[in-house]
Amino acid sequence: MNKTFRIIILGLFVAQSLVLYVVEGFIPVPFIAPGAKLGLANLITVIALYALPRKRDVCLILFLRILLSTAFAGGINALLYSVSGALFSLLSMTLLQRTGRFSLIGVSAAGGIFHNFGQLVVASMVVENIKIMLYLPILSVAGAGTGILIGITSVFTLRHLQKLPIYKRLQQI
Amino acid sequence: MRVMRKKWDIGLIAVLLLLSLIPEGIFMATGRQMNTGSTYAVVQVNGETYKTIPLSEHRGTDTFVIQTKEGYNRVVVRDQEIGITEADCPDKICISEGFISKPGEMAVCLPHKVMIEVRSNDSAEPDVIPAH
Repeated sequence: MNKTFRIIILGLFVAQSLVLYVVEGFIPVPFIAPGAKLGLANLITVIALYALPRKRDVCLILFLRILLSTAFAGGINALLYSVSGALFSLLSMTLLQRTGRFSLIGVSAAGGIFHNFGQLVVASMVVENIKIMLYLPILSVAGAGTGILIGITSVFTLRHLQKLPIYKRLQQI
Repeated sequence: MRVMRKKWDIGLIAVLLLLSLIPEGIFMATGRQMNTGSTYAVVQVNGETYKTIPLSEHRGTDTFVIQTKEGYNRVVVRDQEIGITEADCPDKICISEGFISKPGEMAVCLPHKVMIEVRSNDSAEPDVIPAH
């Protein structure tokens, strides 16, 4: 509908996602495997996936966030890993959501798993060693775990978000 | 409806976790050949290469003697392993090394200046952790 409304909403989503990304950097996480982390910023991706009708906007939010977070923290390598993880996870989540068979938590868990899979694919290409793939099982478990947590948080957030009058307008952008 | 979806979710996560075990399985199946994929032993005498023996394709037992003016070493190549079994050097350290097969392992007889080193044709490092 309103162009300004859309820009503001997308900007808000990107900003919140970016803040979560930066805040996540301050949280100490136990070392499970290389690359395993909480992925708090994906909370916004999941919420946007369910709150916004058009997947193009979700994609835009995700990639704007990645570009900006690369500027704030992390180098070109981190960008490479983030983009591949984001591509895999967003694609899998969109497809799984479209089937209509899975709940938000299941979709989010699958997104977490595919995110780590995408990162491992790029990692094995960067160091030119396919044996990196041996980390896949442990990273999948980690991804499923964080994905479920992100999913539960999204369910609660969306439940409250739906009470706001503005939520109806979100459906029309 | 709610319960149904939960079943689908659990199934989805279980399937994905099982799929993530595929690389592990592939490496387990092919891992043994990959580790000893292309090893060869370099025998050096007095700093010069005396003989190069491919180890990974080797079957059976071969024996040869390296004769130098300081003494002799009997080298045995047994399947994919190589070792010194007999020598007339005073310390016998080369014999105590036993049979070696992994890249980087060495058997050295210092008094006779004989050195056996196992090398690999694989350029890839065995242990690399992505820096992320």
